[in-house]
Amino acid sequence: MQSQKTNTGEQGLYAEHKKIYPREVSGYFTRLRMLSVVVLLGIYYLMPFARWDDRQALLFDLPARKFYIFGLTLWPQDFIYLAALLIMAGLSLFFFTALLGRVWCGYACPQTVWTEAYLWMERKIEGNRGRRMKLDKAPTSAAKIRTKALKHTVWIIFSLWTGFTFVGYFTPIYELGGRLFTGDLGPWETFWILFYSFATYGNAGFMREQVCKYMCPYARFQSAMFDSDTLIVAYHPERGEPRGSRRRGTDFEAQGLGACIDCNLCVQVCPTGIDIRDGLQYECIACSACIDACDEIMDKMSYPRGLIKYTTENAAEGKGQHILRPRVMVYATILLVLFGLLVSNLVLRIPLELDVIRDRNTLYRETRDGLIENVYTLKILNMDEQPHRYILRAEGVDGLKLVTDQEEIFVEASSVYEMVVRLQADEFNLEQRSVPVSFHLQATDANHLSIVEEARFLGPGKT
Amino acid sequence: MVSTSPFPEKIPSIQKAIAVLWPSFATAIVATGIFFSAFHPKDLVPFNLDIDVSPLAAYSIGFFLFWLLGIVSSYATMYFIISNCQVLNKQQGQFTK
Ligand code: SF4
Ligand code: SF4
Repeated sequence: MQSQKTNTGEQGLYAEHKKIYPREVSGYFTRLRMLSVVVLLGIYYLMPFARWDDRQALLFDLPARKFYIFGLTLWPQDFIYLAALLIMAGLSLFFFTALLGRVWCGYACPQTVWTEAYLWMERKIEGNRGRRMKLDKAPTSAAKIRTKALKHTVWIIFSLWTGFTFVGYFTPIYELGGRLFTGDLGPWETFWILFYSFATYGNAGFMREQVCKYMCPYARFQSAMFDSDTLIVAYHPERGEPRGSRRRGTDFEAQGLGACIDCNLCVQVCPTGIDIRDGLQYECIACSACIDACDEIMDKMSYPRGLIKYTTENAAEGKGQHILRPRVMVYATILLVLFGLLVSNLVLRIPLELDVIRDRNTLYRETRDGLIENVYTLKILNMDEQPHRYILRAEGVDGLKLVTDQEEIFVEASSVYEMVVRLQADEFNLEQRSVPVSFHLQATDANHLSIVEEARFLGPGKT
Repeated sequence: MVSTSPFPEKIPSIQKAIAVLWPSFATAIVATGIFFSAFHPKDLVPFNLDIDVSPLAAYSIGFFLFWLLGIVSSYATMYFIISNCQVLNKQQGQFTK
């Protein structure tokens, strides 16, 4: 994007960090943002406690190597679904960025959401922007230490709760909570709770906008997803400039001034500490705090709102808005196709898998009756949440005989069953040294649960 | 390109640390995910030693090994780029102080 300033960004990258004290704002977008923060945090902290069929609704059970996502149970064999989900998440980011710019950054990114939460606690304890700045400048005193200690204690408790919740997505949270109270937490559970707590504490309490500036890859390559029709937060210099202070009710146009009263509020509320009046900058997370701040000033001055507003480059230049453009359509089409594939695959997914491993020690052996025999180890993965009985068949060679010790194979719900089977065939029916055979597994109680697995049958070959 | 390249010795060390630790961290998460969905920790005990490691411990150790690997790689990349910049800066006579 041409109007994007790169030089300020580059200088900023290597500049010394100055602590930013975002001023509190109120207004339409701020309320929207707070709503988003509360809803997302609510989901995060409550979700692990939700139940589904006697188990945790959302659980990435690492020890058992199973992912429970509401009614769905994914096994390591279903890795492809997770990969598809990740690809779709990435594509959605492209899609929404092309359409709405950095809404993700301003409203939904965990970094923003937790920073808002920590900032809220900071405000409650240390006071508004002015008081926070004064407190930091003030010499050490008992009162200062008390305030700071209180803030960090509250932060740390909140962080620990966050870390505990995080680990609760990977080990059943009720049991985890129980172990926590009886002091039986495993060393690695403890470690990850502390690790995640520390990361939250550091990122939301201290790093804040620096994460967006120095660590976030998205902030860097977003310009590739932007075009002149992407929604951005922008200041309108043709209306605002020349900026300057004036008394209320005076005719600023007669004084040769623009609408910006140079109150600097837009800079003070900015969580990344930039001046939006310098043009679009890569640090801007499109949080719209400056829109609310400036609108309030415009109201006070009885000027029309929107000196800083959501707009697109084209709209700002009077070229109209184009929502459906090729880029957006392409992203949308790919997303829809992927989504369709994923859903249809999930619906058609057969929660049954069969692994066939030929005995590696012997190629084949001859039985007493003169038949050629191969030995296989079968692994039956019943990925359903019901137990099932199966019937096994083998074919591929005329008169192929399957020798097992079970008529029907019973496999418990969500478990793996291993068995050894033997195949026997007459030498005359074996055309080559190695012929393809197939194992057919069919559930007796559910028609759709059937699977075919190919294998090789080895013999002496035609002589 | 060279004329605009910043003096690498002016990059704050915290940012250097982030540049090494963070990308390798993200890569390690992906690598751990792929690796352990293909291999079961039980099958990985070296030399069939009979050590009892809980799966969570195995995943964690695996994660840190991947992270370490990434750190080594990221650090090498950073080292080469910075030393290259220093050489170029010197050649350009931009090497101040
Ligand atoms: S808040 Fe509005 S009026 Fe105040 S300095 Fe910013 S742009 Fe100008
Ligand atoms: S410039 Fe405005 S929209 Fe951008 S980050 Fe700062 S306050 Fe938020």
